[in-house]
Amino acid sequence: MLMAPDRQPKFAWHPDFERLVDEHQSMVFSLALRMTGDRGLAEEIAQDVFLELDNNLGRLESAEHACFWLRRVAMSRSADALRRRKVRGLDLWVEMEDVHGLNPEERSTPLGSRLEELLATLPEPQRAALILRYQEDLSPEEIAAALEAPLATVKSQLQRGLKLLRSKAATHLKEYVRGA
Amino acid sequence: MEPDLRPESIDEFERELQQAFHRRPAPPGLKGKIMARRRPQPTRALAPLWMRLAASIVIVALIGGGVALRNREEERKGEAARQQVFTALRLTNRALNHVNQQLASHNRTQDSQN
Repeated sequence: MLMAPDRQPKFAWHPDFERLVDEHQSMVFSLALRMTGDRGLAEEIAQDVFLELDNNLGRLESAEHACFWLRRVAMSRSADALRRRKVRGLDLWVEMEDVHGLNPEERSTPLGSRLEELLATLPEPQRAALILRYQEDLSPEEIAAALEAPLATVKSQLQRGLKLLRSKAATHLKEYVRGA
Repeated sequence: MEPDLRPESIDEFERELQQAFHRRPAPPGLKGKIMARRRPQPTRALAPLWMRLAASIVIVALIGGGVALRNREEERKGEAARQQVFTALRLTNRALNHVNQQLASHNRTQDSQN
């Protein structure tokens, strides 16, 4: 369901900041990581997003509103960070895997890792739409709200991003040649 | 053509994407860093609005009452001083009358002797 915060009925909600961090740190970190491809940068972004949440807790009306807010701000701050660094996603992903390394439990399957690498090569708007679609399982309407973009634009980004990713997978991954 | 994103239309490739793009666990120290950078929380919450309003009214009433009491005390002191001045004038007037009477009596005695 699309959570439009301004239209939600107001009711007493007493947010527990620490609990919100516990519940959503994985989501915020994963969004930032897949957008930037840099674990260190993603961690910084996640910290900044939660500190911003702390300053805006009084404006949030429900747990769903907080989740919606965190998604939107995490995507926005990640895009800002990418623009500041002016680097390409693929380079960052190479840095992440080679320099920072991952714990065994954090590693994706080889196929999953390759798909994530291919995702990082997509243009930023398409990458953002696909991350929200397949990581967060959001509908196009919810993605449009999270990215503050027109629904038609989001649908177009999803379509083009999926087509491009499928094409890249067909080229680079034998497993998907037949599915392309 | 718009993408068909209904669950039943998701193909094998998209299912693979959903599995590949699961959320990654946050770094172990992330929460600790966030809590350390968090602004210090106020030690006590502000009193409710009605309590703050009531306290303000009491303070204003106390100050107003004090000022009124002080004004009344000053008026009382002023009145007492005025009464003292009148008493002094009355005493002075009485003394002067007494002197006048003695002078008049003395003059009459001299006139009768002459």
